Amino acid sequence: MAIYETIFILDSLMPPKEIDATIERFGNIIASNGGKVRKVDKWGKRRLAYEIHKKQYGFYGSIEFEGTGNIPKELESEYNFNDKVLRYLTYRYERRKLKAMAMDEEGKSIKQEPAPVVEPPKKTPVETTEPKAAPAAEEVKQEPEEKQNEALQPEEPTNEEKN
Amino acid sequence: MNMLKFRRKRVCSFCQEGVVYIDFKEEKKLLKYLTEQGKIIPRHTSGTCAKHQRQLARAIKRARHLALIPFVADFTR
Repeated sequence: MAIYETIFILDSLMPPKEIDATIERFGNIIASNGGKVRKVDKWGKRRLAYEIHKKQYGFYGSIEFEGTGNIPKELESEYNFNDKVLRYLTYRYERRKLKAMAMDEEGKSIKQEPAPVVEPPKKTPVETTEPKAAPAAEEVKQEPEEKQNEALQPEEPTNEEKN
Repeated sequence: MNMLKFRRKRVCSFCQEGVVYIDFKEEKKLLKYLTEQGKIIPRHTSGTCAKHQRQLARAIKRARHLALIPFVADFTR
């Protein structure tokens, strides 16, 4: 079973309910021919790069599905029958697309799971090495001041007490 | 000699970025490889390698079909 994606441009003047209904119909055609809908994506209303049937705007939608080779044919006949479909494109995911998808998923899983594990060790050494040097110096500088303050402070109360 | 001096070695930008698949849905990226009129920029000008140029051409043609990219841009003088 190969993965296909079908993209279609519908008349943007259609009411939103009808658009949903037509997209659902396409999904049903896929399902009735033994396919499995993976993803339904509505790109929304977009300006066309050139006029199609005297129309400047179109509603873009796409369905990603898994299935056999007869489904694109069935979809095509439906698209040709439906006057509201301005353009369509059905294509099979080729080797490179699948590879890119697999890489994306790997990247996501790496980001989701090991990334938190990998990042902290990286960060902590950097933080520990640099801050250690810096705060140590600061502490050394601060300490004498504090000691001086401490040294001064006790004297004052003692004076006050004496007074 | 002069020709050799001025010729700069161009590197495929897709190879540099490690692109596996050129998606036709990203029309903004494709526009970089089109002339003002909407023609596909040849390989020897853009420096794209053969592998990626073939993929790019297919992506551009698909994008054109779906009216994401113009076939011919309006070029008013």
